[in-house]
Amino acid sequence: MSKHINLFLLATDNLLRHKTKTIVVCLCIIAILSPFITAIAISEGVRAQSQASVEEGADLYLTFDEFGRNTAVPLKYLDEIKKIFGVTKVVPRIIGRGFLQNKLAVIVGINHEDIPKSISCISGKIFENANEVVVGQELAKHFRLNIGDQFSMRGQQRKTFTIAGFFSADAHIWGSSMILMSLKDAGELFGKGDVATDFQIYTLPGHNSEIATDLYDILQNEPYRLQDKHMIQLYFKKGFMLKEGIFTALYSVAFALGIPAILVTSGFGLSERRKEIGIMKATGWHTLDVLELISFEQLLISLLGATIAIVLSILWVKYLNGAFIAQFFIAEIPMLPKFTLPSRFLPLPCFLSFFFAFILTMVGSVYSSWRASTESPVVSMK
Amino acid sequence: MIKTEKLCKSYNHHLRHEVRAIYDINLEISKNSLVVLTGPSGSGKTTLLNIIGTLDRPTAGKVFMYGHDITSFSDIALSRLRREKIGFIFQDFHLIPRLSSWENVSYPLIPLGINFNERFERARLLLEKVRLGDRLDHSPEELSGGQQQRVAIARALVNNPEIIIADEPTSNIDDETSMQILEFLKELKSRGTTIIIVTHDPRFEKVADVIFKMKNGRIE
Repeated sequence: MSKHINLFLLATDNLLRHKTKTIVVCLCIIAILSPFITAIAISEGVRAQSQASVEEGADLYLTFDEFGRNTAVPLKYLDEIKKIFGVTKVVPRIIGRGFLQNKLAVIVGINHEDIPKSISCISGKIFENANEVVVGQELAKHFRLNIGDQFSMRGQQRKTFTIAGFFSADAHIWGSSMILMSLKDAGELFGKGDVATDFQIYTLPGHNSEIATDLYDILQNEPYRLQDKHMIQLYFKKGFMLKEGIFTALYSVAFALGIPAILVTSGFGLSERRKEIGIMKATGWHTLDVLELISFEQLLISLLGATIAIVLSILWVKYLNGAFIAQFFIAEIPMLPKFTLPSRFLPLPCFLSFFFAFILTMVGSVYSSWRASTESPVVSMK
Repeated sequence: MIKTEKLCKSYNHHLRHEVRAIYDINLEISKNSLVVLTGPSGSGKTTLLNIIGTLDRPTAGKVFMYGHDITSFSDIALSRLRREKIGFIFQDFHLIPRLSSWENVSYPLIPLGINFNERFERARLLLEKVRLGDRLDHSPEELSGGQQQRVAIARALVNNPEIIIADEPTSNIDDETSMQILEFLKELKSRGTTIIIVTHDPRFEKVADVIFKMKNGRIE
């Protein structure tokens, strides 16, 4: 045991004595890992928030289906669906997009009484009267809006809205560029007063299949689509996995380009090291002792590099709001998001980052060290 | 104690431009003797010394040490042999530049699991013995050639070896230090150490028990 402690302490000492090399290798590791950890943390944060929303959401989602795509559901079916045994609540929504001047906004229309209790992060108040809206932080900051201000959407000048409140910075990410209004106002805005984009159906546990049968009876002549919570969760997962996969693939290319840099820097001073290994061998060190020393050095430098990379990633998310990277995972946001970005730093990606760094530095040093230590000492010492 | 049989070493073996550094070397070195290898440059002295000292392997032939054929030893076994039995003194000192004198001396003790305090103490005693007690924390570049060679001698002795192998230990240092090193090696011999030296220095020949003269890769 004392041998291993000696080698560990010597490895620490070596890193401190070779400051330039240590710093350069650390910087390479940080440059490679930090954006990756940040991206994974943002992706995990958005995924967690999405899943939580789905968990809190309805049990069934009803839309119509035309040409294989979701289309609007006529509101005339609302009362009939509400009467189905096992249905506790039906929430018709309109979700669409429109421009507020030059900025794209998500329009959500929902009846006042149907607004989820979880939407509490609001300064000002929820709309109560016709043409009142709640606006997301991103839009509010961009246009410097205040409560009581009035605006019209581009192409819909005849309808004027009054701002009743704002979503706070801590609201869900999709609240950042949202304009929340009543179902009636949204219908009028889009010129579709008799339909909703979907019905959220809340049910009693275990009744979904019976409710699906009853819906079939009601809508049997209509092209409708019914999806349950589980399917929505699957869509989310698939979407995120695809995005993460694309990001990882792109990153792997950058990573591959970074490997030579690490290899060059971790093999920095190789001839000096080779000679040192020759001296070590001549004075009785075993090849395994040499390799253990090198491994400890790489372990320490990887731990140091990965730890700094993780800390920088946390700061990147916390103070820079995931600038430049968040765009990849959240559509249509600026390079510097103006709302609090969801993020989760899970242990596994952090551990994997350290592991990658370790493998990378080991590849750069172990083979050459092994070669030097298995050669005759007289050759290595030359 | 050490015996070689038809020892050969050639470079670019089996190639057209093969260079035979030594061939058909048969010698015997008994315990507690001071052996001097002399000969002109390129005669194969250092090659022979490196093979006897297990720093290099022969192309053919055998080396026996304590009755064992060490040419068949594994890398680990050779390392163990060097660790336990052999101390080296090189012509170019071969000190690690970033380490201080005492750290260089105690370097072979690190993989033995000897703790810091004991390593320091053993290195200090040896450096005092070679009159470098006041240079413990000096790096090699802060020392003269003679001082560096004395650090190298202290390092060679740190494991209490039974065999000291020295390759032209006085060629890069002044006369006075050369004499000190000679006296020091004589003292080691008097305590039972076997010493094998490659040198051109006639003063070593005077105190040698055996002298092997080499020419063109063979012992004359």
